[in-house]
Amino acid sequence: MDILYLLIPLSVVLVLFVLAGLWWAVYRGQFENVEQEGERILRGD
Amino acid sequence: MSNKPAGQLAATDTAMLLDDPQEWSAFGRPHGRAAADMPPTQTAWESHVVLEGMHCTACALTIEDALRQVPGVSDVDVSAATRRARVVWNPAQVLPSQWMEAVRKAGYRSIPAMDALAREERRRENRRALWRWLVAGFCMMQVMMYAWPAYQAMPGDLTFEMEQLLRWASWVISLPVVLFACGPFFSSALRDLRQRTVSMDLPVALGMLITFVVSMLGTFDPTGPFGREVYYDSLTMFVFFLLTGRWLELRLRDRTAGALEAVMNRLPDSVLRRTAAGDFERVATRRLKLGDVLRVLPGEAFPADGRILNGSTQADEALLTGESTPVAKQSASPVTAGSYNLSAAVEVVVEALGAQTRFGQIVTLMESASLQKPRLAQLADRVARPFLVGVLLAAALAAAWWWPTDPSHALMVAVAVLVVTCPCALSLATPVAMLTAAGTLARSGVLVRNLQALEALAAVDTVVFDKTGTLTRDRLAVTGTQLGPDAGLTAMQALALAARLAQHSLHPVARAVVAAAEVLPPHDDSWLVGAVEELPGAGLQALGSRNGQQGEAILRLGSVAHARVAPAEGAPQQVVLSAEREGRVTELARFDLSEELRPEAPAVVQQLRDAGIAVELLSGDHGLAVQRVAQRTGIDAAQGACTPQDKLQHLQALQAQGHLVAMVGDGLNDGPVLAGAHASLAFGKSVALAQSRSDIVVLGDNLALVAQTLLLARRTMHIVRQNLWWAAGYNAVGVPLAIAGYMPAWLAGLGMALSSLLVVLNAARLARTAGGDAPANAHAPFSAHGPVGVV
Repeated sequence: MDILYLLIPLSVVLVLFVLAGLWWAVYRGQFENVEQEGERILRGD
Repeated sequence: MSNKPAGQLAATDTAMLLDDPQEWSAFGRPHGRAAADMPPTQTAWESHVVLEGMHCTACALTIEDALRQVPGVSDVDVSAATRRARVVWNPAQVLPSQWMEAVRKAGYRSIPAMDALAREERRRENRRALWRWLVAGFCMMQVMMYAWPAYQAMPGDLTFEMEQLLRWASWVISLPVVLFACGPFFSSALRDLRQRTVSMDLPVALGMLITFVVSMLGTFDPTGPFGREVYYDSLTMFVFFLLTGRWLELRLRDRTAGALEAVMNRLPDSVLRRTAAGDFERVATRRLKLGDVLRVLPGEAFPADGRILNGSTQADEALLTGESTPVAKQSASPVTAGSYNLSAAVEVVVEALGAQTRFGQIVTLMESASLQKPRLAQLADRVARPFLVGVLLAAALAAAWWWPTDPSHALMVAVAVLVVTCPCALSLATPVAMLTAAGTLARSGVLVRNLQALEALAAVDTVVFDKTGTLTRDRLAVTGTQLGPDAGLTAMQALALAARLAQHSLHPVARAVVAAAEVLPPHDDSWLVGAVEELPGAGLQALGSRNGQQGEAILRLGSVAHARVAPAEGAPQQVVLSAEREGRVTELARFDLSEELRPEAPAVVQQLRDAGIAVELLSGDHGLAVQRVAQRTGIDAAQGACTPQDKLQHLQALQAQGHLVAMVGDGLNDGPVLAGAHASLAFGKSVALAQSRSDIVVLGDNLALVAQTLLLARRTMHIVRQNLWWAAGYNAVGVPLAIAGYMPAWLAGLGMALSSLLVVLNAARLARTAGGDAPANAHAPFSAHGPVGVV
């Protein structure tokens, strides 16, 4: 069970990494205009 | 001014640019009568700004108060639902940068409602809201995992060190939630404290702070007075629920009440303009001048009223006419600002711009309407503040009551009370429903100029059509044929013969005859007609001969005098066909004419009656024609030959009997009558928007919209009442439960989020209605500025 003393702090660090990933996604506009990719097929250009 | 920090200086500089009188017309217009022909600095201005940082109606009150205190600002309207403000100010006393500074001091940001700017701001705000929500959600899941062992473990299972470690981890993960995700709650609560006011974020922020402090003390000082309990899971969960509610509410509001805005912001930001060299460059729509030649691509909206120079296309003019079928446009056809170019690129020469266009007038109408506060909303606003003070007191009392038993529990009960109350639902209930209804109507071509009118319209029990013209089209139709005593031909032949004369004229009567003849079945037509001439104001004359008969006759089609026959007594409008042979006039046929009834009119009257509404017709036309229209539409109470005074008297008589009356007129010369009614609708293609004084303007040519508007108004008030009952009922049940200690903090958070969400969702039902919102969207699926309707 002693391994938990390492894993729990590690999980905290992991959470911070995931949050960083989400930040990147939000500010790169990944969640905006989600219909756009589907529509692109139909566009002429 | 000189020693400001850099960031603030930049913001102020932008505001200073707005002090240039040249810029004022970009986000406002001169206010008051005769303002247009005075120099801009001499007259009051009415400006529109978009507000940032607003969360609820209480914020709107704060901003209104802040602006009212600026000397030189004479009138302020802030709309919480659209987050816009209308400010009337006097350039002699105050400049835009100064009143914007007042908004900033109150803790909000105001951006002139130039739409490109606002859209960018909204995107940034949306991203921040989404990011806050994701942080709260993800951290909540993780905190739950750390909390789980403490719920599951039997006494002795968990070592003290392990439990401490889990609490530490929860604390670390809760930090981003409290410091970042809760930011909007804390900052607006701080603002309220500074302003010495109470708004709905104060109790919530207080709840968050108390929960976090109690949990932190439990973690770091387990032997302290608040015990060793921690509530990180409750905290992160209710923050997440609240943010979810806010986020969904924001999206829904953008979609429904925002439908109005989508209509208003239809013009493109930039457009291709032909340069002197003959090629096209992209310029801002604001920079266009009369006479510019533009290239408008398919999918784009026309930025100005104009005429097509080159090319042909189809346009979607649903907004302007309510007609959802695309209209074909060739070279030299007029195009209107705000309609969509659907099929091909065309070159257009600009003929009217900005506020001069019909679109500009529509936008002016809708902007002033969306800023109004309906009566019920004002009532809710007045109740909101005392209600919040009551909540704070109730929380304090509950904490005091439980304190002797268990201080930690007492604080959590107070938190539940603070979080569970939702004045937001109360103050959103009315405006959200009404704005959604106005947006839905706008998409089918009905403009609500006055939100209060929806309430009045929902209550009416009598609809009075103020003109025969509202039930008929403004063209004539042949309704009957009477053959002369010795005509010697059939009715069908007479009509066909008349049509052969009539086709040479554009007079409405002649066109009615031609239209009637066009639908005749094929038949034996034995006349030769030649030398047709039109005698203006009288009729047509021609030479005609019949196969197998000797000699030519002079054929005449027109008034009784023109046709040289005896007038008929008491006959309705008629046109006569006669033949003169060797000085002897034979009357061939008389055609009865009447105004053509709108095909949908009888169904609409029936629909109104089914809804329990009495329908009447008052008209200035002569009695017989009015009776006939009334008969064919199924209206019992019809009165002809009315002067405007008669109409007003009749209206007042109805009102004296206790009826609530809606008037439907053409909005032109029936001003006093429309103003006297409880609710008034101007109807018809040619409604002059600028002069019309009616509450509701129906732009299309479809009478069915009148009935639809009325039914939608009823549904709107129904939903407003549901919302108000729900909001009041929720608070009445939730608060006592929380005080009694039956409501954990996370459940309180869920309840609050759900209650305001439910109000907005309930209002969103109004966006989905019968009546052609879909076609307008369907034509321009790829347009960047397309309507935001519910897709």
